Amino acid sequence: MAAVICAASIAFVTGADTKPADAKADPKARDAQPAKKAEKKKLTGAELYTINCNRCHAERYPTEFTSAQWKTLMTHMRVRASLPTAQAKLILKYLQEDSGN
Amino acid sequence: MKIHSLIIGVLTAGCLVWPRPASAQVSLDDFNALKHVVEQLTNKVEKLEQIHDQDQKTHEADQKKNESLQQQLGETRTAVTNVTQKTEEVARVQSSYPVVSAAANALHNFTMVGDAEVQFGKTAGQHSAFVLADFAPIFLFRASDNVLFEAGFDITLQNNTDQNGNRAAGSSTSVSLSFAQLDYLFNDYVTIVAGDMVLPLGTYSERAAGWLNKIPDDPMARDFLPGSGVGVQLRGAVPVGQSGQITYSVYGVNGPSSIDGSGTSTSLDLGSNVGDTPNWHANPSGGGRIGWFYPWKPHYDLELGISGQTGEWSDSGNRRWSAAVLDAALHISPYFEVKGEYINSWVQTDDMGTIRPQGWWVQAGYKLAGLDLGIPHISNVELVGRYDMINDALGTKTCRTTAGFVYYFSNTLLLEGDYEFLHGKDAHDAFVFQLSYGF
Repeated sequence: MAAVICAASIAFVTGADTKPADAKADPKARDAQPAKKAEKKKLTGAELYTINCNRCHAERYPTEFTSAQWKTLMTHMRVRASLPTAQAKLILKYLQEDSGN
Repeated sequence: MKIHSLIIGVLTAGCLVWPRPASAQVSLDDFNALKHVVEQLTNKVEKLEQIHDQDQKTHEADQKKNESLQQQLGETRTAVTNVTQKTEEVARVQSSYPVVSAAANALHNFTMVGDAEVQFGKTAGQHSAFVLADFAPIFLFRASDNVLFEAGFDITLQNNTDQNGNRAAGSSTSVSLSFAQLDYLFNDYVTIVAGDMVLPLGTYSERAAGWLNKIPDDPMARDFLPGSGVGVQLRGAVPVGQSGQITYSVYGVNGPSSIDGSGTSTSLDLGSNVGDTPNWHANPSGGGRIGWFYPWKPHYDLELGISGQTGEWSDSGNRRWSAAVLDAALHISPYFEVKGEYINSWVQTDDMGTIRPQGWWVQAGYKLAGLDLGIPHISNVELVGRYDMINDALGTKTCRTTAGFVYYFSNTLLLEGDYEFLHGKDAHDAFVFQLSYGF
């Protein structure tokens, strides 16, 4: 029993120590992991559009309005729906990129 | 001058360099040789003179060209000076009267959106009929990146009635102003709103339009709240993470008033006192809402909010009206949503003390596309249901159960059909169909 506990302890300690040791050995790898995580989490304008707009009304397609009209509409929706500025700007960029003429 | 010096030099050099015999006599051969040299030099001098003449002519021609170019340069400088003066004059004029290019004229930032509805219905004990034709445009004018004016109208056609509400000949069109407000986006977190505003009491009013509501008529409890108010509001949002947000609004408005100026229990008028002459009382109301929106991924989110308003309503200014609203909305997948509000109000009256009209509603919808049945048209259907209840604190309690559907012809054209089961005093079941279009 004691041997099992000892082996498990060694395995735990060894396993637990593996990643920090690697990270210490390679600072670039250590920095890259959080960066990758952040990159993965970053939401696009299309995703923010789905999150914020579809909860109140059916999806309006980007081609339904011109770029200038989208700017006016997003100003209106930013006030009406109390959208945070940064999110509203990303949504507007997405809509304008695929907007109608 | 140079040529003559050259000749003399050459001759002198020839005299000095030429080898002289010891005696003073010059032989004929020497003389001829010297003569030949002189002739060669003379030819060279003539050629050099010719070249010199040509150079002089070229030089004169160059001088003439130079003078001509200098004259042209002067003319060009004059022209540039004139253009500069004209440009400055134009700039002065433009600064006084900005010239708008054709690409950015006054209506460049003007946009119209809105919705239109046609309704057909029948209430038990009455004839079925087309009961509504409604056109609700919203005009948006963006003056700059942070200034927006917006106004919404509701234009409906209705049968004429007399002063007592009895039938009268013909029909008429009513035009009502839903809201007219100026928005100034002060910074990323604060927007200043002024005018006739849709009030953020709960979320229903701000998200109500024919093509947004999945059931044609409003929840009964919304009758206990004003839809809009004239005043000033501060509102905005603070992001929480990448997509979450805390939203807020604080406002001051004229507030409700009394139908007849008194403070009796049946006199409350939530839709009046818009500030036109005369103002019914000098006691503005204050209110606001704070909300929390938490999406954990697209189509999956929870929103909670609490809002309220309070202020005097009778002409004497000694009767207070207050309301509190709790609102919630939940989306799970693109297909299912449930939302609702609880509304409680307190009305101080002359004859009944403080009464508490209250009510609540909850509504759910499920889009059959989530079943992935692959049957044509079925995927375009959303089933909806709602339960709402009110107690007006004057002796009437009404409950209503609504079951129906929404058929989506497109993202903005939809047909709604509902049957309403009512329970309460003088309550009658009804069905209603509505064709809605959002633009």
